[in-house]
Amino acid sequence: MITLIPTDHFVIMTLYALVVSAFFALLWRQDRRARWRLFGALMASLVLGGLAVAWLMYPFPR
Amino acid sequence: MSERSESAARPDRSPVLAMALAWAVPGLGHFYLGRRRTAAAFLVLVTATFLAGLSFQGRLYSIERGQPLTILATFAVYGAGLLNIAARALSESPVGTILAPTYEYGCTYLLTAGLMNLLLILDAHDIALGRKP
Repeated sequence: MITLIPTDHFVIMTLYALVVSAFFALLWRQDRRARWRLFGALMASLVLGGLAVAWLMYPFPR
Repeated sequence: MSERSESAARPDRSPVLAMALAWAVPGLGHFYLGRRRTAAAFLVLVTATFLAGLSFQGRLYSIERGQPLTILATFAVYGAGLLNIAARALSESPVGTILAPTYEYGCTYLLTAGLMNLLLILDAHDIALGRKP
């Protein structure tokens, strides 16, 4: 199968954060404003949390 | 259609049918319950996640003897409904490509798509019963 999506790890992680944040914002909130707020909070938490874990694991490459 | 009319309760709709439709096609249960815009968004999100998992050469799990965690993984992937069944029928390699650098990501995306659809099934059930506005 042809891979259409880049194989860069950060891009894959950010795409994952995007779909998961959008999904839960739609599932858990009913009005548009609350959905955008939750989407932003989830997206920021996932991306920044992922970067923080990556930074903490930097001394342990294996 | 406005958001207000989308969230109107539909007590005349069958919860069992809503759940069956939600399992078969992501978002179809919500469409049946009259939440058409949300249904379209769920269809796009879950399908895109599943297709991304396939393009990352992830694995469509099956139960393996001596590997109890594959029971949970298989349950999760089968949550994606007809997407999973069609992918198994059409894919040349349903076990994925373990040597591909994106294999683990692919597995995660496929499991996530199935689990998201399982949540949609429960959500459709709650909406049909009037438990969720």
